Amino acid sequence: MQLGFLVDLHLCMGCKGCEIACKVENEVPLSTWRLRVKYVDVGTFPETKRTFTPLRCNHCENAPCERICPVSALHYIENGIVDIDKERCIGCAGCVMACPYGAIYIDPETQTADKCTYCAHRIASSMMPACVVACPVEANIFGDLEDPASNISKYIQEHEGNVQVRKPEKGTNPHHYYVGGGNVTLNPLASVREEGYNLFNKLTHLPLGGHH
Amino acid sequence: MVHETLAATHAVVTLDVALPDVFWGWYVTMNMWAKSIGTGLIFMLFLLLRKNSSETKGLRTSVTIVSFIMMNVFLLFTLADLHQPFRMWHIFFYPHWTSAITVGAWMATLFVGLEFLMIVVMLVKKDEELFDKLLFWTTILGIPVTLYTAGIMAESTARELWTMPTESVQMILAATLSGSAAMILLGGSKLSDESKRFFGSILGLSALMAFIIYMSEYIFGAMKAEEAAAVLEYIKGDGEYATMFWIGQWVAYILPMILVALSRVSNSSSILSLASILAIAGLWVVKHVWLVIPQLLSLS
Repeated sequence: MQLGFLVDLHLCMGCKGCEIACKVENEVPLSTWRLRVKYVDVGTFPETKRTFTPLRCNHCENAPCERICPVSALHYIENGIVDIDKERCIGCAGCVMACPYGAIYIDPETQTADKCTYCAHRIASSMMPACVVACPVEANIFGDLEDPASNISKYIQEHEGNVQVRKPEKGTNPHHYYVGGGNVTLNPLASVREEGYNLFNKLTHLPLGGHH
Repeated sequence: MVHETLAATHAVVTLDVALPDVFWGWYVTMNMWAKSIGTGLIFMLFLLLRKNSSETKGLRTSVTIVSFIMMNVFLLFTLADLHQPFRMWHIFFYPHWTSAITVGAWMATLFVGLEFLMIVVMLVKKDEELFDKLLFWTTILGIPVTLYTAGIMAESTARELWTMPTESVQMILAATLSGSAAMILLGGSKLSDESKRFFGSILGLSALMAFIIYMSEYIFGAMKAEEAAAVLEYIKGDGEYATMFWIGQWVAYILPMILVALSRVSNSSSILSLASILAIAGLWVVKHVWLVIPQLLSLS
């Protein structure tokens, strides 16, 4: 079994239901996110559109975080999920430096690394990840990539040629796919981050570590 | 290059609460800086022993003690940088050998253990022959201990600026630069003029080679990878770290090179000492800038 995720960006409407469901399900502390939806505005008024891209751990086949973890706190489980043992983690932040997708953070409460686990605890009880359940338009498709009859495999077959992963040049072989993505949605260098352009400008952060 | 289409798309991120940027800050800079001096001093002591063993008479113990202290500073900051420092023992009981962090922690611990043994041999047994044998093996081990941080940087897949070939050379050069500088300062009057010139040459050449590599990255690095180009913008023009980058290059490399040349012309030990102090101080700045800038780039 090789579990994977696919997000159809044509369907995503940026409601952030998945983000909230993830927060609640996994008790993700303030200032940190296992899953977040990025908004990018494209074009100039009046010819503008807004794109939405849910971002989470890619559960790579060749995961840099698993490789760099000095104590195997980040490890593969039999269904292909890159899981984390928070009791084992020493908080070196090596995984934070290694993940090309910025998907790992240091939990301010436990002072250990944390990230999306595809809701491994729910899957163990034969339930879908919380974000999949919460999505009102079924933009999140989850299943076994090795089963040709699974929804995700069928979706990939149907949309062949329009299925992308983030940063394929890194050689991480992500098990997280996007349909309908493009440079603007998947490449962080294809959009600018201007001070004052954020929808919420007065966000406050809890101290997460690091010594500047 | 993708960013050149920005004018056409006018794509602006309007909502993405990215995770905070710099996770490896000045604690890790201290780690790399102290390790460079610690291993570099051992390399220089070994070279002095091979070149002119009579001059190591009064330096074996003092140089090893200073190196031992610097290695402990390195270990202290490594420990302090952990968010769960009391779980450090997990590295020894649950080691994951694909990680350069694990391999490095084991090697560095062994290195410090050998140094401790060398100090005991000199202070308690006063056995120079045994010390010299231990020094040989400590020097050999010092090479991978110096290099393993480059391995960690290489395994940091998200930071394209750090590549193993370049970083490993820079780590060795940092050790020879700071080691020779510290040896000149520690040796003082115990070193002959010839040995001072020898260490001065190592200092000057290390500075020259490291400077060439940084300038190569600065000028040509952007031509190969979009992400590296974006990172290098932080040290170019009015980039956030441009001033700090150039202060580091001048203090660590350019001024020491000039001063080493001047000291050879004027046969002045004090100018050489000044070059050594600048090199050691500047190295910290250089390392810090190179550590921080790739972390400023948003990964999403």
